[in-house]
Amino acid sequence: MDHVWRFEAIGTVWEIGTADPLPEGERDAVREAIDDFDHTWSRFRADSLVTALSEQPQEVPTPPDAVAMLDLYRELSQATGGAVQPLVGDSLAARGYDAAYSFRDRGAMPAPADWTSLLEWDDGALVLHEPRLIDVGAIGKGRLVDVVHDLLGSLGHAERLVDAGGDLRLSGAPIRVGLEHPFDAARAIGVAIVADAALCGSAVNRRAWPGEHGGLHHVLDARTGEPVPAVAATWAIAPRAMLADAVATALFFDGGGAFAARHGVEWVRMTTDGRAEWSAGRRMEVFA
Amino acid sequence: MKLSPTARQGSALFGIAGTLLLAGCAAEASSAETTTGTPVPQTTAEASPTTTSAGSSTGSGSTYKDGTYTADGSYQTPETVEKISVSITLRGDTVTKVEVTGDPQAAETKHYQSQFIGGISAQVVGKKLDEISVSRVSGSSLTSKGFTQALAAIRNEARG
Repeated sequence: MDHVWRFEAIGTVWEIGTADPLPEGERDAVREAIDDFDHTWSRFRADSLVTALSEQPQEVPTPPDAVAMLDLYRELSQATGGAVQPLVGDSLAARGYDAAYSFRDRGAMPAPADWTSLLEWDDGALVLHEPRLIDVGAIGKGRLVDVVHDLLGSLGHAERLVDAGGDLRLSGAPIRVGLEHPFDAARAIGVAIVADAALCGSAVNRRAWPGEHGGLHHVLDARTGEPVPAVAATWAIAPRAMLADAVATALFFDGGGAFAARHGVEWVRMTTDGRAEWSAGRRMEVFA
Repeated sequence: MKLSPTARQGSALFGIAGTLLLAGCAAEASSAETTTGTPVPQTTAEASPTTTSAGSSTGSGSTYKDGTYTADGSYQTPETVEKISVSITLRGDTVTKVEVTGDPQAAETKHYQSQFIGGISAQVVGKKLDEISVSRVSGSSLTSKGFTQALAAIRNEARG
């Protein structure tokens, strides 16, 4: 992977490593794939599908990635007792994490527990029955990493690394990835060995802001609309980035460990008091 | 795998070290500062050297004076309001110690007694990135550029 292309998109830094340089036409294809995804799923864009649906709920042709993501969300929701689900967008916005980045806390707003009856999908149609804001933050970035990884494969790049701000997927020889200490970016709490797999992480310490009754961050419990208190950072290694991303989110909640075990996913997490926990497996080491 | 009282105290807060680190650091590194009530935004980025994805530390020179910083605060859990005190020791812009004390009231969860946990350790200080051989880093410092910029803008407005 001698050639690395670095660029910014969807608010993060991307690095794409390939054995051969990416011609401009292929870079355009990658940029387009990212923009298409963002145009559909970003709740921060006025022109996105999820913004349009939140204003005017209706039936639309099923967009790409919808079935894969929403099927996984259904499983995540069951695994976490409803703590993780895609109609949490209004809950995040209520705490100030809205499209305008207002950071004005209007209090806790639980997401609708019966979300699978408000949002329905199959291969042909996606239907939202009430004005609700869809947020795919728990798995969306992982899915997009998979999309870009697969696109590069279809363009003939057998070896490729796609790294979207630390959420990455690799087809190629093993690399060592430091697990950034959530309270100190100059340190690592451990190392992951990634080979033909994906590594995703989630941490609460950066996407955080002051609320009316205490600090807030972006990992909300959908059942209460409150931020999760006990876990500071999580990482997971899985065959696909969407699944790694899903486990990294699930590990903030009860049921996350069981969900990971069911999928054979290895993980590490750090609690807010600085302790570390990890699953069985050999692909991650903690400097304990 | 029973929880010690100390561990539970910490877990009553989210990201508290991150939250209150800046509160302490903002005290011009005198002895200590006490913050009561709403914690300030968590911006550990400003409290420690940034790390490039190549895994090398770009920080040079300390931003904050070495020492121990203490802050008090409260945190709202779904069940209760937790009162806590956090003490952080900084050396060369690096957190070398985090102590959390308080009087947590929230009920214990089964979270920590999961049969799916393969290992557990007490507070992990970790290793300096330039002391370990890694080709990249996974964590929060690179994941939320837009968010961080927006929050910084809000804070500047608040100051102005």
